[in-house]
Amino acid sequence: MDFDFSDDQLQLREAVRKWVAKAYSFDERRRVVASGGFSAQAYQAMAELGLCGLYVQDGYGGMNMGPVEGMVVMEELGRGMVMEPLAHTWISTAVLQAFAPDDVKTEWLPRLAGGEALLVLAHHEQGARYNLEKCQATAKQVGSTWQLTGHKSLVPAGDQAHGFLVPAKVNGEQALFLVPRSAATDTRHVYQAQDGSRMSELHLKDATAQLISTDGLAALQLGVDVGATALCAEAVGLMAQTLAITADYMNTRKQFGLNIASFQALRHRVADMKMQLELGRSMSYFASLRLNAPSMERRLAVSRAKYQIGRSARHVGQEAVQLHGGIGVTDEYIISHCFKRLTQMELSFGDSLHHLGEVSANMQETAGVFA
Amino acid sequence: MDLAFTPEEQAFREEVRTWVHAHLPETISHKVHNALRLTREDMQSWAKTLGTKGWLGYGWPEEFGGPGWNAVQKHLFEEECALAGAPRIVPFGPVMVAPVIMAFGNPEQQQRFLPGIASGEVWWSQGYSEPGSGSDLASLKTRAERVGDKFIVNGQKTWTTLAQFGDWIFCLVRTSTEGKPQTGISFLLIDMKSKGVRVRPIKLLDGESEVNEVWFDNVEVPINNLIGEENKGWNYAKYLLAHERTNIADVNRAKRELERLKRIAIAEGVWDDLRFRDEIAKLEVDVIALEMMVLRVLSAEKSGKQSLDIAGLLKIRGSEIQQRYSELMMLAAGPFSVPFIEEAMAAGWQGDFVGAAHCAPLASTYFNMRKTTIYGGSNEVQRNIVAQTVLG
Repeated sequence: MDFDFSDDQLQLREAVRKWVAKAYSFDERRRVVASGGFSAQAYQAMAELGLCGLYVQDGYGGMNMGPVEGMVVMEELGRGMVMEPLAHTWISTAVLQAFAPDDVKTEWLPRLAGGEALLVLAHHEQGARYNLEKCQATAKQVGSTWQLTGHKSLVPAGDQAHGFLVPAKVNGEQALFLVPRSAATDTRHVYQAQDGSRMSELHLKDATAQLISTDGLAALQLGVDVGATALCAEAVGLMAQTLAITADYMNTRKQFGLNIASFQALRHRVADMKMQLELGRSMSYFASLRLNAPSMERRLAVSRAKYQIGRSARHVGQEAVQLHGGIGVTDEYIISHCFKRLTQMELSFGDSLHHLGEVSANMQETAGVFA
Repeated sequence: MDLAFTPEEQAFREEVRTWVHAHLPETISHKVHNALRLTREDMQSWAKTLGTKGWLGYGWPEEFGGPGWNAVQKHLFEEECALAGAPRIVPFGPVMVAPVIMAFGNPEQQQRFLPGIASGEVWWSQGYSEPGSGSDLASLKTRAERVGDKFIVNGQKTWTTLAQFGDWIFCLVRTSTEGKPQTGISFLLIDMKSKGVRVRPIKLLDGESEVNEVWFDNVEVPINNLIGEENKGWNYAKYLLAHERTNIADVNRAKRELERLKRIAIAEGVWDDLRFRDEIAKLEVDVIALEMMVLRVLSAEKSGKQSLDIAGLLKIRGSEIQQRYSELMMLAAGPFSVPFIEEAMAAGWQGDFVGAAHCAPLASTYFNMRKTTIYGGSNEVQRNIVAQTVLG
């Protein structure tokens, strides 16, 4: 039982923190939002730091690192509200590595690790909410290839991605496919998300696809768990940053002749924010340290963590705005952007109610971390 | 970073588990597992049993006859005791005053007091709070005047836990009124059989007398009962508070009680009621988050590499969780929590239970647990401390 970071992990954190501070100031982030919500330059810089290939094995040109390194990186990206969907690169590389046939791996993993290609998860459908088993899209085999038909929503950076991981039903069973951008029928419906990133709708009509796995639900579940775990760590980084910004503000803003940091009614709210941050951090550790566990154990850990993170992110975001007062609801000041990003995090990969349902349905009679 | 305990830690856990199961009488663990009332004999006999093994002072270093365990081993020991249904170690002797005597007492005091604490023979109480000094402890007024080779102590302590059984009491007393309130306080050990000491149990809302008022009326205390230097007692008290940081979260007991909550929920038919079950699920995540937080602090203590300023959070969260599980148990029994039948809260009662036997103590435990957010520095005081770490 050991929660210390190794020297290598601390160096990784330092390197990412430095890059975020240099490349992702609030002003720079604004420019990224205004120019399409994605910076190819920033994504390339992350690839050069080795972040795109973090989970990719050496043989495919990656760093072959584990979930704790992933957590360290995501906390730092969270601090800067970095826009590029690195978590989706981790999802696709983890899923391909665990489920895809060798030729698909050879074709995609080196390019994903090098940042030359971006694959994102396109699993949302209207009416399915967070239920991974609900899937209307279908696939059929035509000779040696597959063709997909369906409509996926809320695809992150869908206008940038070189391909999509798409669940579809084959004779009632869910499989997972890789659809190259060139095969997609229509990706023109692009829109902005609350955090300034872009999403798009993905329409498929007999779109040519590569089969990743016929065990599609297991593959999708792994992807969602990898994504949710990354997001937990990212939220921890952003909550820490949000709390720090709020503390700075409270130590400079004066009312009634005093810094508002001196008022006990406000100090207790700050204490509660720190509580939510640290509970969230504890559960982010929990999820990361269980990410390589057998799938049932992994799923339950992720649900427990995401439930806590969702509550924590909501609390910290709402309170940060309240403690800032009027400036907190302006677009000009950073804290509203932290709030919106934290809010979007709760809504991604299952909100708190969804994961509470998972925890509740899978509850055992024993209790505790090691139960 | 690794969530698993090492093979050595696992072996240590096994050793503790085997020993506890062999030595903890079922008559006692039955009471603990069912929240039935414990007698003085229950508590003291378990303390003495631990004493024979050298484990009552489980946090002590080897030079004072303790096992010399590290933070993780101490945690595992506490966990195995809690899960087995052992009574909580009454902390005032082995956990609270002993470390102060070791750190600040002289060799004569160490030889005189530590053996009785280690064996469980001598029952210690803590004389801190006073009627006018709760959260603002430094305002305490109990006076100790130096007369020759004695202190003459006058004043009143209150909320003194289990002092009705106490042989000795360690007190914070005022020896000076000059300067800041904190600088005029001394740390004094007082024999409760001394002339002029009077104890009155306070009946609490659950019908039990867990705490007492203690009066000192011209009580003569030899000056060799002063720990360390006169007027430095506040520092020693702070040292004591810093000494046991994770224990106060009581996460091991929370795990045991969460399992009991589930058993009660199943028996009362609310386990399959989604509205109720979700409340248990929320608590389960709360307990895991607390446990992870405790483990983080233990790991930091063990390695000494990073310091974590989250001890205040442990007290706040741990106490809220204690209140919540007792609340949910009471709600699970619903209307059958209403009867207040004191005899039914003692083990072996042969009378007619109203509803299931497990319902009898639930409301009383819920009432009793309100103390947890009040004692040991109220949760509002803890929030002040936590806010300090963020805002300065």
